[in-house]
Amino acid sequence: MPPRASDPGEVRPPRARTGSTRRDPAILLAVTIVLLALRVALHVQENRAQPAVPPSAAVSDKVQWRSLESGVAEARTTGKPILYDFTADWCAPCRLMQREIFADAAAAADLERRFVPIRVLDRAREDGRNPSWVDSLQARYRVGAFPTLVVAQPYAGAPVIIEGYLGRDYTLDRIEDARRSLRVRTMMPALPDRGR
Amino acid sequence: MSLPIILATLRQRFTSPMRIVILITVIWMSMIPVILSPGSGFSILGDCYFLALTIAAGMIGQDVSSGTLQLVFARPVTRAQYVFSKWAAVTLGTWCVIALECVLAGIVMLVRGAPVPWGGAALYLANNALLALGTAAVMALFSALVPGLGDLGLLFLAFLSSQVIGGIGSFRNWRLAMRAAEELQRSLKPEIELWSLTHGHPIPWSMVVAYFSTVALCLAIAILLMNRKELSYASSGV
Repeated sequence: MPPRASDPGEVRPPRARTGSTRRDPAILLAVTIVLLALRVALHVQENRAQPAVPPSAAVSDKVQWRSLESGVAEARTTGKPILYDFTADWCAPCRLMQREIFADAAAAADLERRFVPIRVLDRAREDGRNPSWVDSLQARYRVGAFPTLVVAQPYAGAPVIIEGYLGRDYTLDRIEDARRSLRVRTMMPALPDRGR
Repeated sequence: MSLPIILATLRQRFTSPMRIVILITVIWMSMIPVILSPGSGFSILGDCYFLALTIAAGMIGQDVSSGTLQLVFARPVTRAQYVFSKWAAVTLGTWCVIALECVLAGIVMLVRGAPVPWGGAALYLANNALLALGTAAVMALFSALVPGLGDLGLLFLAFLSSQVIGGIGSFRNWRLAMRAAEELQRSLKPEIELWSLTHGHPIPWSMVVAYFSTVALCLAIAILLMNRKELSYASSGV
């Protein structure tokens, strides 16, 4: 006797199981392909809009500055803190720091090993305005002067901000202190960060 | 989607003693920072990735290894419906746990006399709701590949691979390898970082598209895999 149509325990004939119950999700596949294409296109567009090496860094720097997006991604992948260099072409102490630290092969190699360096070049004076990502970062770290170095790490609480340039050794020491303090804080994420 | 499958999955997930113990432990551990520093807001709770993994682990694979899948597909249910229902159930379950965690954190803050940042709570919930949705999709894909809790092993291997690729890329300064590792990690833990809105940062379109493309891709592949899975009462199930 054939099973009743409303029987919840009905065993479907093989034709029904291999047909409609295994229909491939055509709409979902189409949406996926469109989204993947869009994903690639957006990445290409972002990489073009944001040159990996800012123009002012090209001449003598031994530090390989990352673009914002790839730098943040690298910091996440490697666990290294980010070293933001907030600078401007017209800033004389910035040029001095560039010559003494970023153009020095040993110091640059050391920074590259310990940090993910990202340069944030202010162009407000030259171009009248900055790219939005530069404004955002300056606002986030309350940058009011150049040069300003910021050592930051995701989930490590407040970043360490080093304002001005007071010589090579002093600056390198401060950068290393900042790295150590962030390392301690990432090991103890639950502790309250007082004094902020 | 099939409501009976959603309900059955929720029942299966929340009656597993091991899962319950892990969930209680994770929630309790996440309350410690709130107790120590009640004024830090909801971000101190971290994200719900581990919670989502705990609930999602073996979402399809356990049905395969226990032989339930044959019984489910004896009913008039399409395989796409099955995958969507499993995904929805795991997401729903995780959302409930996140909401519970959020409520508990709010109570702790009130008891400790700290102000409860309601905006932060909404952002925390939204951020983690998206993470739960994405994680469930990724686990649906892995779970469709291997029986039992093998999906956790695959996820671990994938994370390990991304770390190795990223490490080699960073050491050798190979941008392509670093990029590949980043994309892999972003796909294994799909999220939209809504937190950046609190800093006045707009959410980049690339992040939104990457998130939705990952979710859609994982679900599509999971359905394709399930459609091609041959089930037999005589075999071990695969």
